[in-house]
Formats: sequence, C-alpha cells, structure tokens
Amino acid sequence: MRTARRRLTTAVGFALLEHARNRLALVLVVFYIPFWLSMVHWFVASAPSRFLLRATGRTVTVDAGRLTMISGAVNAVTLIVGFMMFMTTFKSLAFDRRLALAGYPRVPLLVAKVAAMLLASAATALYATAVICWYWDPVRPALLAAGLFSAAVGYGGIGILLGAFLRRELEGMFVIIMTSLMDTMLQNPVSNPGASKDGVQLLPEYGPTQVSVAAGFSGAVPYGHLLLGPLWFAVMWLAATAAFGLRTRSHLTKAPPLPAPGRV
Amino acid sequence: MPGRPPALHVRDVHKSYRSRHVLRGVSFDLEPGTLTGVVGENGAGKSTLLRILSGQSAADGGEAVVRGTLGHCPQEAVLNDCLTVAQHLRYFRVAYGLPDTRRAEELLEELRFGEYRYTRAGELSGGTRQKLNLTLALMHDPEVLLLDEPYQGFDWETYLRFWQVARRLRERGRCVLVVSHLAWDTGRLDRLYRLHDGAVRPWCPAPVPEPSCGDPASAVGAEAAR
Repeated sequence: MRTARRRLTTAVGFALLEHARNRLALVLVVFYIPFWLSMVHWFVASAPSRFLLRATGRTVTVDAGRLTMISGAVNAVTLIVGFMMFMTTFKSLAFDRRLALAGYPRVPLLVAKVAAMLLASAATALYATAVICWYWDPVRPALLAAGLFSAAVGYGGIGILLGAFLRRELEGMFVIIMTSLMDTMLQNPVSNPGASKDGVQLLPEYGPTQVSVAAGFSGAVPYGHLLLGPLWFAVMWLAATAAFGLRTRSHLTKAPPLPAPGRV
Repeated sequence: MPGRPPALHVRDVHKSYRSRHVLRGVSFDLEPGTLTGVVGENGAGKSTLLRILSGQSAADGGEAVVRGTLGHCPQEAVLNDCLTVAQHLRYFRVAYGLPDTRRAEELLEELRFGEYRYTRAGELSGGTRQKLNLTLALMHDPEVLLLDEPYQGFDWETYLRFWQVARRLRERGRCVLVVSHLAWDTGRLDRLYRLHDGAVRPWCPAPVPEPSCGDPASAVGAEAAR
C-alpha cells in the first residue's frame, strides 16, 4: 500500500513539475487568454445574436460580443490544455516506456498524467472565467468555469491521443489548432449563421459550449451536457491508454537469477 | 564457469520488417561474469537485436531468456528534459523498487558528473546525458546488462572509466553485453561476436595496436585535463 502510494505521488509530482516547466504553455495561459478575450471585447460589436441553446431546448437572443467572448474562452482553454497534453505525452513517450520496462507500473504513470491534466484544466478554466468576469457578469460564473473545465478536459484527451500516435511536434500542434478553431467557429452563430444545424452535437466543444452559454445567459444547469467534455476525454484517453499498454509491454522471457558466487 | 546456466540465452531469433529479413537465426549464450561485444556494420540489425533482448520488440521466431534483473542502456539517451539528474534517480529508484540511490550516487561520482545533480537533463551536454543514460541502466545493479553504443560522446577519461566500471561488473558476476558498430577495444572483451547477414558468429578481428594501456593518468589529453 505504501509502495503504491509512493509510486503514485512520485509520478504525480513529476507530471505536475513537467507542466510547471512548460514555459510556452504558461505564457499562453497568462497572456494569451486575457489578450484574446480583450480583443473580442474591443472588436466584436455587441449586436443581438440568436443562439440555439439545446441544453434548455430554446433559442435565446444574446449579446454577440459576450457570446464570442465565451466562444473565445472555450477556444483558448482547449488550445492550451490540448497543446500541453500533446507535448507532455509526445515528449515523454520514450521515457515513460523506459520507466515501464524498468518496472514502474503503468497505472500510476497514467493516473499521474490525468491528475496533472485535471489540475491544469481547472486552473486554466478558473483563470479564463476570472477574465470574463472582469468584463461582464455571467449569470452563473461557477457553471461557466465548469463548462470551460469540461472543454479543457475534452481537448486534454485529444492532446494525449495525438501525442501517442503522431511522430512530429508540428503535426500535433497543427491538428489541435485547426480542430479547435473549426470546432469553435462552427458553433458560434456570429461566425457561422448555420450554427443551429444538426450535426454540431458531434463536435468535441459542443457540450462545453452549451454549458458555458447557459451559464453566461440563463439560470439553467445542463448536467447532461456537462458530461460530454469528460466523455470525449474518456474515449480519447482509453484509446491512448490501449496504445500505451501495447507499446510498453515487455516481450521478454525472464528466468529467476542464479546465486552469483563472485559477488562482493 | 562451465556447467552454469547462461545469464542470457538467445536461440534462433528471427525478425523481419516487411520483406526485409533483419535477423535470420541469431543464437548465443552468455554466462554470468562475462564481458561480451557484438559488432556489426550500420544497418546490420544490432539495434533490432537489442530491442528484442530488452523486451521492447517481439521476435518473429526463436527465444531470448534473461536470467535475473535486466539493465538496458539505449543508444539514444532516453531522458526527460524537464527533470534534473537527481529527479531522474528518484524516479528510477521507485521504478526499480530500490531502498535508496546509493549505487546511483556511486556511479555519479565514478563517472564524474555529480556536480550536475541539480541540472535539468535538457541542459546537459551530450556526454553528460549519456552518463546519466548509463547510470539509469546500472543503478539497480542488474544481473544482465545490455549496452548499446554506451560510450558515445564520452571524452577519453570517461571512456576509460566506463571500461573500469564494466570490468568490475564482470568481476562481480554480472553479464555485460556491449553492442557497437566499431570493433576497437576488443582486448577488453572476453568474447566478441559479429552480426552479419542476420546471424552472429564468433569473430576475431585483425590485431590493432593497444591503446595507451588504459590508465587515465597516462592517457592522451590527461595532462591537459589536469
């Protein structure tokens, strides 16, 4: 039990340290989120915009600037956490394989990555919520943070999957940026007048966007939609975990050692 | 030691990548307390063989059995650039289930990179990264040690120290297999194989002049280093 706890705490500690030393991601969190949301505040007109809030089953008319700020926050947290998890998975793949072959159980290694991701997602989501609250007062700020958190978690899973399969850093960054941008633009009626069409439910940011918009402009709490981000994470993480398990298994036949008389 | 079961038993190992048959029946046995070399040209299949012996790849046929614990030093230093040397030692202490890092600390001193204990791997020079790479393979004092081009990037003194470490491991009954593309320093080995055409055979290269006797004090450049 003590050994298991030590393995877990060691792996979690180092996973967190790895994130803390990812300077680019930290710079993005600190500067990109307020920069992006401030750009939205200054440049997007506050005209009325109609948004199909499937979480409550009705169309709401909201401020386009505020709606775009929520979209921007979803976009920013998904980019940052997706990028963080891609980089950490991609860079530590060979190292994790070495640890696993050296005898480190895979479960604490995997759990550590998830724990670090949850903390990074929570911090990023809270920070983005605080920036939004600087500009206006969402109806339910805690739910808005939860919506952004679920978006970050979903893309964290996508980042882990990409990190497990892609072979170049540029490929992963490109896929995450393009996916998140398309995902965000397709769901925002300001950038896509057809955002209420069926099919958007299949996008990773659908659930988190619905929750975040509901939190910003209504008193509704869409619990079901809140689970969609974590569901995306679970599917991506399971696929990446299966790949990790296959790649780190030892094919070697081992026999017990002999007593070595020459030992000193 | 005759009659003792081998520490590393390799029998009729085959491996192909699509139509390319890289290993075509590799067989050899290594007893405890032996220092063995496997040499081969670039692309001969040395890394493929080591991947199979270390358990990273499955052979298409044949068997490889390791008796006891295994240490593997890969050709490319496999490290986490965000972690310091000391953090690497802590991580692998937990992986190997060791009570402390005493053996690793000894290696740090022996390979002379203790001063980099709190430096991140990403900031280390190529040679120091390789020292850490080697230390991670040795720190649990394994019965069988697989070393893939282990002295890449080492300066002359460290190179000689590496052979001192290898010699001591042999004396303590460890089985050490060094894989290299160069057949120099064959005099330091108990046995030498050549991997050629997908199979290993005992090999005796043409004699080369002995290097300056293996004593760091008399090595070329030692005076300048002092």
